[in-house]
Amino acid sequence: MYYKFSGFTQKLTGAAPTAAYNPQGLKLSLPAESPTMIFATPTKLVSEAGSTVEYLGTNKVPDLQKFFQTSDGVPVHLKRGYPDRLLYRTTMALTVGGVVYCLVALYIAAQPKKK
Amino acid sequence: MAHQAHAYHMVDPSPWPLTGAVSALLMTSGLAIWMHFHSTTLMSLGLVLLLLTMYQWWRDIIREGTFQGHHTPPVQKGLRYGMILFITSEVFFFLGFFWAFYHSSLAPTPELGGCWPPTGITTLNPFEVPLLNTAVLLASGVTVTWAHHSIMEGQRKQALQSLALTILLGFYFTALQAMEYYEAPFTIADGVYGSTFFVATGFHGLHVIIGSTFLTVCLLRQMLHHFTSEHHFGFEAAAWYWHFVDVVWLFLYISIYWWGS
Repeated sequence: MYYKFSGFTQKLTGAAPTAAYNPQGLKLSLPAESPTMIFATPTKLVSEAGSTVEYLGTNKVPDLQKFFQTSDGVPVHLKRGYPDRLLYRTTMALTVGGVVYCLVALYIAAQPKKK
Repeated sequence: MAHQAHAYHMVDPSPWPLTGAVSALLMTSGLAIWMHFHSTTLMSLGLVLLLLTMYQWWRDIIREGTFQGHHTPPVQKGLRYGMILFITSEVFFFLGFFWAFYHSSLAPTPELGGCWPPTGITTLNPFEVPLLNTAVLLASGVTVTWAHHSIMEGQRKQALQSLALTILLGFYFTALQAMEYYEAPFTIADGVYGSTFFVATGFHGLHVIIGSTFLTVCLLRQMLHHFTSEHHFGFEAAAWYWHFVDVVWLFLYISIYWWGS
């Protein structure tokens, strides 16, 4: 990309190489065309990647499908093991604790005010 | 392992309906405790439990559908019915607030000066920020439709870009509305005008935030390759919800911002 100083907007604006700003003038040895711009480079060879190029991460869904379809009798909310169990137990603890706290708070709230 | 001889989904036993119900109990009781005893602990506990329930319940639905293949065509049909009925219930929810607005504005009482807008209320100019908000939401309706077509055509990059643009427009709307709320010359306490304005637009804003969140989840799922060109009901549900939010805004704009000014 070449730039020139636009007298109209008083800013640098895009320009062709022939109009580009350079106090010494453009070097004659430099090529006039800019190198062909490449917007995306596949990380694999086209022959390896097949018809599509991976964008923003590989597809892990088939592996996850195999993982979650193992018939071990574990319910879906615990299927992942440790992280699921931790979250479940935390939620259950808050549930039970919350019910107890709620009943206590409502019992206190129901007491008549002392005059 | 026993295989089912039908296409329906017999769900694994799940604790989330219980935790969700308990969170409702804690939030409502917590609201009462907050009002009478100035303590927000119980209500906050309810909110945390609600967020945990939503995260885990919907995570499980994604596991059941995308990873375990339970969302066969009849199951998906049921999910579609469910979403349509839920959105219909939300329509009725908003209908109530529109009823309240028209009840007060069609026959303004002497206490208001017998006119609408009531005496002393400086309304917002409908052709300033509210009109921009209308343009933003209409544009987001276009981008979400673009996202849908991109998904159906298997255009991964375009789907991600159009979905991201939709979400950005949603955030832009929310930011503009927040600024309008801050700068408004009237408050919720300014008579029935203030009440109807802020309750109706406030609930709408909440729905914009919910819709934006739903779309963000869809964006994450699209990044993780969950959607296929044939099967992407989660996205369709989000898009339906988003169109509903857009339509509610149009009614709000016409009724409260324009006719009511």
